[in-house]
Amino acid sequence: MAADLPAEFDVVILGTGLPESIVAAACSRIGQRVLHLDSRNYYGGNWASFTFSGLQSWIDEYKQREATTDEPVTNKEQILENEGIIPLNQRDRTIRNIETFSFSKSEDSNIVEEIGALSIKPELLNTNPTDGDQPLQESPAPEQPELQEPQSESVEHQETTSESDQIPGANIAPNSEGGSTTDAEPNAAKVCQTESRKSITYSDIVREGRRFNIDLVSKFLYSRGLLIDLLIKSNVSRYTEFKNVTRILTYHNGRIEQVPCSRADVFSSKQLSMIEKRTLMKFLTFCADYEQHPEEYQDYKDSAFLDFLQSKRLTPSLQHFVLCSIAMVSKNTNTVDGLKATQHFLRCLGRYGNTPFLFHMYGLGEIPQCFCRMSAVFGGIYCLHHSLQCLVIDEDSKQCKAVIDSSGKRISCNYVLVEDSYLSEVTCAQVQYRQISRAILITDCSVLKSESDQEISVLTVPSEDGRQNAVYMTELCSSTNTCMKNTYLVHLSCPSVKATAREDLEPVIQKLFTLDADGGE
Amino acid sequence: MQSHHTEHLYKILVIGDLGVGKTSIIKRYVHQNFSPHYRATIGVDFALKVLSWDSDTVVRLQLWDIAGQERFGNMTRVYYREAVGAFIVFDVSRPATFEAVTKWKEDLDSKLTLSNGLPVSTVLLANKCDQGKDGFRNNLTKMDQFCKEHGFVGWFETSAKENINIDEASKCLVKHIIASETDILQSVEPDVVKPQMNSSKIPSCSACLKF
Ligand SMILES: Nc1nc2c(ncn2[C@@H]2O[C@H](COP(=O)(O)OP(=O)(O)O)[C@@H](O)[C@H]2O)c(=O)[nH]1
Ligand SMILES: [Mg+2]
Repeated sequence: MAADLPAEFDVVILGTGLPESIVAAACSRIGQRVLHLDSRNYYGGNWASFTFSGLQSWIDEYKQREATTDEPVTNKEQILENEGIIPLNQRDRTIRNIETFSFSKSEDSNIVEEIGALSIKPELLNTNPTDGDQPLQESPAPEQPELQEPQSESVEHQETTSESDQIPGANIAPNSEGGSTTDAEPNAAKVCQTESRKSITYSDIVREGRRFNIDLVSKFLYSRGLLIDLLIKSNVSRYTEFKNVTRILTYHNGRIEQVPCSRADVFSSKQLSMIEKRTLMKFLTFCADYEQHPEEYQDYKDSAFLDFLQSKRLTPSLQHFVLCSIAMVSKNTNTVDGLKATQHFLRCLGRYGNTPFLFHMYGLGEIPQCFCRMSAVFGGIYCLHHSLQCLVIDEDSKQCKAVIDSSGKRISCNYVLVEDSYLSEVTCAQVQYRQISRAILITDCSVLKSESDQEISVLTVPSEDGRQNAVYMTELCSSTNTCMKNTYLVHLSCPSVKATAREDLEPVIQKLFTLDADGGE
Repeated sequence: MQSHHTEHLYKILVIGDLGVGKTSIIKRYVHQNFSPHYRATIGVDFALKVLSWDSDTVVRLQLWDIAGQERFGNMTRVYYREAVGAFIVFDVSRPATFEAVTKWKEDLDSKLTLSNGLPVSTVLLANKCDQGKDGFRNNLTKMDQFCKEHGFVGWFETSAKENINIDEASKCLVKHIIASETDILQSVEPDVVKPQMNSSKIPSCSACLKF
């Protein structure tokens, strides 16, 4: 089929993550002939979202890949004398140390952990209805990996912990310092509550697996910012549907509390005293246009935001709310940056709802696809499960003038954009990577109960000793179309410090969630 | 008795091989025009057709074309999301495009179901019937059987060029969508935010939400 690909494009783009997809849409929009490829058979690369069984196939595939080595394929026939090549990776090493757990009442729950041994059938990622009629035997049938976890009831939760290299090339990587854009908050969450109410069993989850849209990377958007502006300006927003995050939570004094952030919240808050309300109102009103009142913070310009908060007589609770949950900065952040962050938060309030954040329905993984759709509508040609062997470089000009695709076909082009997990370690030797630890949990009750069971919550858990970074958690309810009824999908993340994501996140998970006793911990 | 005005918005997919006339059918149906000039890559994104279904029902059809992805069948999830019906189109003068129909149908059913788990209503269109269809003639008798076997709710010989049967095919599809809808809870998700140029749709008092 790839034989029908034209032999010439203006722009060839490899990787269908968010940055690449935005560029693809932009190039098509201005009339460039775009070829957009991904080595996977799904959109989004490491920005993808999966159904429950899709995620399991993905995990299996990753485990398998970790075990194999990369053999560079290069087709020298197509290369002329004055040309050199840059070979590309045929597999992605971005994500590491994936582990899955389940917490179950029944003894056979550890079978679930064994699924990693099975082979993958990539088609399953897209489609497969996870039907409930799986055979109740244990012998893993390699042809049907997703029928394999046979135990019937019991497993309450499934957690995937993964660790990923963040890619600086894709500069929208969660890096909140950048301010502006995607300022998605890397979020995180995990849950394990079991009070044996209408308990959700593992097989329920398998049966309803299609209701899940589990993001590999979970972020949400500020309701004002470059990404939301871009969605609107480019008209890509016609494909998007968001929900406003409904609650901002924080972990304070050993428990989870809701952070009052709008005027109305502050007034109606039960946890704040009258004096605190007044102090907070006054402070936030000042932050909304702090530049107008330089005298207020002049003396603290070079000190920490926290010192400034103290100078404004904010009580310890208020300091915590502002620092951790409104500005979402660390104790060492300086005053001006803290003020900027607070102001941005306040400016985003009320645009679409009573928190500043938007979460995309069906998961973040939809957003790259929305840009791909836009590119396709303007003529972009899409080919998944199709990669490049190498880039062809003209020795004289040092420019890339063609690529060789995975079928060995030479395609000439003026520009190439490659997501950097496709580049070899040699090529990226100069690049500094940051790692993020993530956990994903499926839970059966919210970390903080409220009247509604359809809250979308964001929670910051500051590190206890203040030396590590905070852990961010997002808890999604079923109306976001990311999980089945009566469950929550929780994403947790923090910059990696320890050797594995599990070590980084397990302490927080144990603080926030009740793991079912018989399941293990 | 007062008549209750109801409005339905249905997202309909238009699927099939390259060059079978998907874009032409949408343009004919929605904009009442036809162009013989072939521009493979430029489709329409989606187009809206408003039907007065009966005295108290208005049906808005949002017809989604497939774009550059179609060559390799790699459609985005955005495309399928929340669709309730589909046309699968082939070109009567090119038998290979008919052979692809089953592949398109299977692909559709694997990627899209109604909330009750059933496949969406799909109508098969034998397009370009204004052209010689010698290759296809013989099959006409077998078409009803084919539709039954592959789960199409009906089929029509159409021509975007001569405007043949497109309205009829659409009526057939809408009829089936409405019929299957009675068993689906029509749940419109509340509080969905659709960012737009000048919308600052504020649910309650804006001053209370701001600072
Ligand atoms: N004779 C005839 N030509 C048609 C008909 N429908 C489309 N075409 C032509 O077939 C070509 C492909 O049509 P287009 O709508 O672009 O196909 P698409 O790739 O499926 O969107 C164009 O040249 C159209 O003019 C039809 O009903 N009769
Ligand atoms: Mg077309």
